Amino acid sequence: MNTIEKLLATRSQVYPCKEPPPVSKDAEEGGCGVIGAACTVPLAGRVIYEPSLQMQNRGNGKGGGIAAAGLSPDQMGVPRDILRSHYLIQIALLDPACHPELERRFIIPYFDIAASTRQPHIDDYRDIPGLEVRPPEVHRYTVRVKPQVLGEFAERTGLGDLSPRDLEDEFVWRNSFRLNDEYYASLGDKRAFVLSHGRDLLVFKLVGYAEQNVVYYRLEDFRAHAWIAHQRYPTKGRVWHPGGAHPFVGVNEALVHNGDFANYHSVCEYLRQRNIRQQFLTDTEVSAQLFDLWDRVYKYPLEYIIEALAPTTELDFDRLPKEKQAIYRQIQATHIHASPDGPWFFIIARSRPDENRVQLLGITDTSMLRPQVFALSGDGDVRIGLICSEKQGIDATLMSLAKEDMRFCPVADKYWNARGGSSTDGGAFIFTVESGNNGDRSLSCTDKFGHEVRLDCGTVRCDVPAGESAPQELVSYWLLKGNVEALFNHALDLSSWPPAGLVQFCRMVLQVAASAKSTKPVHAAIRLLSMLRDRHFYTGDKRRATVLSVVDRMLEELFDRAPLFGEAAVLCWRRITVETRDRLTVPRASDEILVIDAQGFPPEGDECDAVLLCRAYHLGWRRFIVYRLRGHRFHGSGLGPDTGDVRIDLYGSSGDYAASGMDGLQMYIHGNAQDQVAQIARSGKLVIYGDVGQTFMYGAKGGEVFVLGNAAGRPLINAVGSPRVVINGTCLDFLAESFMAGDPLAGGGFVILNGVEFDGRGRMIFQPTPYPGGNIFSLASGGAIYIRDPHHLLVEQQLNGGELSDLEDPDWELIHPYLIENERLFGIRVSELLTVDGSRREPREVYRRVSAAGLSRKRVMNYDSRFPEIDHRVEKHY
Amino acid sequence: MNTNIASLINPCIPVPGEDPRETVSREVRPVPDRYRNSIGKYRIVRLADCVSCGRCEEVCGYGVHTKPEGYALMTRPRDHLCIGPACSEHGRSCLDECPRKALRMRLNPNLECLGDPRWTADLILATWYQAGTGRIPPPHLEYRHGASGGGFDRIRFRFEMERSCRPVEPEIPDPDTGLDLNRRGDGRPQIHIDIPVYGGGMSFGSVSLNTIVAKARAATAWNSFSCTGEGGYPEQLQPYDDHMITQVATGLFGVSEETIKRVRIVEFKYAQGAKPGLGGHLLGDKNTPVVARMRGAVPGTALFSPFPFHSVYSVEDHKKHLDWIKEVNPDCLVSVKVSTPTDVDMVAVGSYYAGAHIIHLDGSYGGTGAAPDIAKKNIAMPIEYAIPKVHKFLGAEGIRHRITLIASGGIRTAYDALKAIALGADGVVIGTAEMIALGCVRCACCESGRGCPRGIASTDPELVTLMDLEWAAQRLINLHNAWRAQMVAVLKTLGMNSIRELRGRADVLCHLASYEHRRPPGENGHPFAHRIEMLLKR
Repeated sequence: MNTIEKLLATRSQVYPCKEPPPVSKDAEEGGCGVIGAACTVPLAGRVIYEPSLQMQNRGNGKGGGIAAAGLSPDQMGVPRDILRSHYLIQIALLDPACHPELERRFIIPYFDIAASTRQPHIDDYRDIPGLEVRPPEVHRYTVRVKPQVLGEFAERTGLGDLSPRDLEDEFVWRNSFRLNDEYYASLGDKRAFVLSHGRDLLVFKLVGYAEQNVVYYRLEDFRAHAWIAHQRYPTKGRVWHPGGAHPFVGVNEALVHNGDFANYHSVCEYLRQRNIRQQFLTDTEVSAQLFDLWDRVYKYPLEYIIEALAPTTELDFDRLPKEKQAIYRQIQATHIHASPDGPWFFIIARSRPDENRVQLLGITDTSMLRPQVFALSGDGDVRIGLICSEKQGIDATLMSLAKEDMRFCPVADKYWNARGGSSTDGGAFIFTVESGNNGDRSLSCTDKFGHEVRLDCGTVRCDVPAGESAPQELVSYWLLKGNVEALFNHALDLSSWPPAGLVQFCRMVLQVAASAKSTKPVHAAIRLLSMLRDRHFYTGDKRRATVLSVVDRMLEELFDRAPLFGEAAVLCWRRITVETRDRLTVPRASDEILVIDAQGFPPEGDECDAVLLCRAYHLGWRRFIVYRLRGHRFHGSGLGPDTGDVRIDLYGSSGDYAASGMDGLQMYIHGNAQDQVAQIARSGKLVIYGDVGQTFMYGAKGGEVFVLGNAAGRPLINAVGSPRVVINGTCLDFLAESFMAGDPLAGGGFVILNGVEFDGRGRMIFQPTPYPGGNIFSLASGGAIYIRDPHHLLVEQQLNGGELSDLEDPDWELIHPYLIENERLFGIRVSELLTVDGSRREPREVYRRVSAAGLSRKRVMNYDSRFPEIDHRVEKHY
Repeated sequence: MNTNIASLINPCIPVPGEDPRETVSREVRPVPDRYRNSIGKYRIVRLADCVSCGRCEEVCGYGVHTKPEGYALMTRPRDHLCIGPACSEHGRSCLDECPRKALRMRLNPNLECLGDPRWTADLILATWYQAGTGRIPPPHLEYRHGASGGGFDRIRFRFEMERSCRPVEPEIPDPDTGLDLNRRGDGRPQIHIDIPVYGGGMSFGSVSLNTIVAKARAATAWNSFSCTGEGGYPEQLQPYDDHMITQVATGLFGVSEETIKRVRIVEFKYAQGAKPGLGGHLLGDKNTPVVARMRGAVPGTALFSPFPFHSVYSVEDHKKHLDWIKEVNPDCLVSVKVSTPTDVDMVAVGSYYAGAHIIHLDGSYGGTGAAPDIAKKNIAMPIEYAIPKVHKFLGAEGIRHRITLIASGGIRTAYDALKAIALGADGVVIGTAEMIALGCVRCACCESGRGCPRGIASTDPELVTLMDLEWAAQRLINLHNAWRAQMVAVLKTLGMNSIRELRGRADVLCHLASYEHRRPPGENGHPFAHRIEMLLKR
C-alpha cells in the first residue's frame, strides 16, 4: 500500500460509524451569481459588495458566501511568517453556547494557538435590510498542530512518509471533518461547523446575500489579494442555516460553483470509493472534495485536475499533441465517473503560502452551459484579474475600485470567454499573484496549458485631468455642420495626441453641443462619442481601456444634460430617471429622443426600465437612449410587432434578453451584449458593438444582426425562417445547431462568420482559426454559414449533418451587401476581409459555405410537388 | 363559423367578418358519432325467425329496435344504444319478450381490439357516450376507471367502497366547480375558470386546425382554457384568445411577442411527462408546407424541439425566462409545465420563487402515439405520486396557498380528475380524453404516414375534412358537461360545497390494496356508486 492509498484508507478512522447509505442532494441549486477578483494590491472587502449587489437576481437570498485569500498580516494581528505557516481555523457558531465545549474537544488538545479571535460584527443583523436570519458567530483560531499530536497521528495512521506539511494538512482536514460531524452533520439542530481551515484563506457564509457578509462581519476595509463571492439560489425555500452556502473548502482553497450536477450520485460514489464522505450534501461540497483529492492527495498538476473535471473531447481531443492525448486518456479513464456532468462553472481562490502565491481559477464545463467572463486589466504595479458569471459584475467591480483608487480603470483591458474542454485554452484560466522578496507583487494569467494571456496594449492613460481649453474652431464648425466623419477622422490621430487630448476633445464636443441652438450638434455629438466608443481604431501608446472609460463618462455627461420631465424643454430630448419616472408624458412636438437613466431601476420586474420603455412606446415615443445600464434586462422586449420606426440605443452593461422578440425595431448595443439576446427575434436590425453571450438568437425567425466581436456558446440554435447575421469574431461552439432557415438564396437565413479580432491597440487581425469549436451547423436542415476560411481550417469533423462547399456567385451577391453594411457599421473593410496574406483574392477563394447536406433539400422538392396548389396559396397569403 | 377548405388547412388565412371575441354556448346538444355504424358494447342479432311483430320496439326503452312508419320489417338493431344484460334486471327485455325468441345478445367483438388496459373499450365507449349526449354514461359502461391495475385505477373514493354513506340532500345547491388561477396576489389579473379542467397543448401540425379550434370553442363555452402547443398560433383562434394558453416550448416554434401578448396565460413547457428528456418531434411527413409556414421551417423535414431550453440551465435562468415573458405581457399569468422527476417537489418550489402562477405537473401516463412507448412507460414518476409529493412539499414551505397546482398525464375521466384533486392538485389538464371524444380509437397511428386516420391528429388536406368543426366543438362541450355533472355529484356525496374543498383531501380516497383481503377476488363492483347515479338521473 503506498502512502496515498494508506492516507485514504485510514480516513475510516475519522468516521464514527459504518458507512451510511448514500444520500441524495439536500437541495437543487440554480445558476447562482459568482465573482472572483485577484489583484496585485490588496482589495478591500467593499469590492465584492457592488458586483454582488448587482447580481442579487442571480441568487435568492437563501445563501451567500465570500472567501478571501492573500491576507495582510497587520490586520490579522499576526506576523507575516505566522500568517504563512499557521492554519486559520474559522468556525461558524450557529449556537454560540457550544463554543467552550467545542474548543475543549477539538482545538485545545491538538493545536498550539497563536491567536484566538472572535470576528467582529455589527450589533443587530436586522439593521441590514433583507437579512432575515441571524448570521453565525465566527470564531477564528490561528494555529499549528502540536508536534507531539502530529507524531502520534503519523504513528497511528502509518503516514510517516508524508511530508510534515502534508501530514499536518491531513490532520487539520480530519479534525474539521470530525468537528462538522459532531456539531453539524449528525445533528437535527445544527450547532457549529468549520467555515475554512486553510492557511492565508478565510471563508464567511450566511443565509442571505453575499454582500451582507461584508456588512455584517465588517469586512468593508478588510484587505486581501483575492476575493470570491457567491449568490446562492437553492430551490428548497427554507434554508435556516448557512452550511450549504458556498464557498466550500479543501484545505488551502475555497470553491464557488454556478450550476448543477446531473451525476451527483456518481461523483459521491467515486468519492466514497476513496473513503471520502459528504456532510453538507451539495454539488459544491463534492466539487471541493474532488479538487482537494486530486490536488492535495494525488498531487496532480493543475492541468490534470482541470482535465479530470472538464475532459477534452471530440475534435479538441484529436487536436491535442499525441503525448498529451496519452496522458489525458489515462486521466479520463480513471476519473470520468467523477467528472461533473451538467452545467457548471467553478471559481476557486487558492492560497499557496509556501510559494508566496495566491491564485484565482475559473473553470468551465465542456459544454459551456453556464455563462462566464474573464477579464484582465492594469499594468505594472496594479494589475487585476477578474472572473464573473456576467460581464456587468466585472464592470461593477472595476467601477467601484476606480472610484476609490485612481490606479484602476473602470474598463478592463481585455475581456474573454473560456472554451470549455478545448484544445486551445482548456476552458480554464488561472490568475496568479506572486509576491517577490522585496514585497512587490506581480499578476500573471495562464490558461490550462500554461500559455500566458498577455496584454499588448498601450500604457498611456487618457483618463487624466485636463485643463479647460477653448473650443477649437474646427471642432465646433464640424459639429455644428453635423460632420461626424470629419470629427472622427480627426480623432483617429489619437495615438499622436497628448494624454489629456482626448478628454479635452470630448469636453469641447460637449460644450458645443450644450450651447447649440439646433438639434444637429446634439445628434452629431452622440454619434461621434458613440463611434469613439464602438469603433476599434489604432490607439498607439494610449491604453484603449482608458479611451473607453473617458468616452463612457463623456456620454453619460452628455445624456445627463437632457432635461427631465417638468424642466424647461431644451432641443429635442427628454430624460427620465428612477425618481422622476412617474412624470412620463406623451412626447411633445419637439421631443424626439427619450433618454432613460437606468441607474436605480431594478433589473427586472414590473418596475424595471424596460417596462418603462414599453410604456413610453405606447405613449408615442419612438427613439430611445438607455444609459448607465448595470445588467438591466429585457430592453426592446414587449413592444410587439410592427416597430419599424423604433430605435433603441443601449449604453453601459446591457443585460440578458435584450432585443428578445424584436419585430421591426432597430437596436444598437454600444458595448458587449449579454445572454439570450434577440431570442425569437422576427425582424428588425440589431447591431452589437462587442461580444454577445450565450444562446444568442435562440429560436429566432428573422432579423438582421451585426456583431462586432465573438458570440459565446450556441448562437442561433433552433433558429428558423430568415435570420441574417454577421459575426465578425467567432463562436465558442455549437453555432447554428438545428438551424432550420430554409434556402438562403431563396429568402432563407444565414450567418457570415469572419473570424477577425482586434489587438490591444485596436488593429484588426485574423483569429488563428475562424471556428475553433467541435460542432458547427449540427443537425441543421436549412440555412447556411458563410465562413471566411481561406486556409481551409474548417474540417469535415466539425460538421454533423452539414456539408462544405465553395462559394458560388449567387452566394456572394447575397452576402456582399451585408458585408458592405458591416463595413459601414464597424469599419471592417470588405477589401480587408478579401485580403489574404497581403494579396487581394476572389470571394470564392476566401469564403466557404456550410449548408445542409443534400438529403433534406431533395425531400423538400418531393414534398412541394405533392401539394403544388396549396403551396401556391400559402405563398400568396403569408 | 363557416370554414372553407382553404382556411381549414391554412391557419395563416384570417377568417373574414368574424367578431373578434366569440361567445359559445355551453348548452348540451346531442351529437351522434360521425361514422354510420356506431360501436356499442353489445351486439344484438336478429334471427330469421323474427316476424317483425314490433314487440321488441315496445319493450325497449333505449331505441334499439325500430320499425319506421310504413315499413314491414324491423330495421337492423341500433345496438350501440343497448345497455346489455342489465336490461332484464329492471324488468322487460327484448330478449325475453320476443315471442319468437329471435333476438340474441353478445359482447361486441369489436371491443376485443378497441382500447387497452389504460383506456379500456368501456372508457372509450363511455367517453363517446358523454361526448354524444353530455350525460353521465349508463351503468353498463365502466366510465370511472380503467383496468391498468395501477395508478388511478387502483384508487377509489371511500364512498365507492363502503356501503354506508351519508344521505345526500337532493335540494342542496350544486357545489361550485370553479377555480381561481392567480393566487400570488402580485397585482396581475385574477383568472377564474368554471371547471377545474383545461385543455392540454397540442400544436398545429400534430393535430388539425379543426381539432384546435374545437378545443378552443369548448374552452370558451366552459370559461376554461385550451392551449396552442408550440406549433404557432393560428389566426382562426382569435375569437377565443381569452381562453387560450400559448406555449413557450423548447423549440420556440411559432412563438413571437404577438402570440405572447394575445393570451391571458403563457405556459412554459419544460418537459412532457410522456417523454421527459426527449424533447418534441414533429415527423417530416406531418411537416406540410402549411405547418412549415407557421413555424418558419422547411417543409418535409423533421422538426425537433430540443429537450432543454438552451437558455435555461438553472433556476435563476428560469426566473429570468419568466421575467422576460412577464415583461412582454404585463397582464398574463405564467404557468410552468414540468414532468415529474424524483425531485419534482423542488422544481415546483423553484418555480414558485421564479414567479410562476401555475405549476403544471405532467405525469407519465399521458402521451399520444407520437411519444415512444419506452419513454411513456418508464421515465417520469406516476402522477398520483407526484401530486401529493408536491402538494405536501409546497405546504411545508408555506406557499401552497400562493400557487395553483395543475396535474396532467393520464387524466381520462372525471373520476381521475377528482382523485387528482383529492390528492392535492387544484385542477387538471386533459389531452387524450378530448381526442377520444372526437372519435379517436387509440390506434396510435398519430405519427405514421399522413397522420391520424380519423382526421384528428393530422394536417393532411384530405384527412382533415373527415371532421366537421361544429360537430367537434359540441362533442367537447358535451364531454365537459358530463364531467362536471359527475364532479357535482361526487362533491354532493362528500358533502362539499366546492371543488376547492376537495383539494388535498386524500382521506376521502382509498387504495384497493387495503380492501383486497376483505373482498372476494374478482368482484370489482362499486355498490354505492349507483346512489350517485340515481341522484344524477333525476
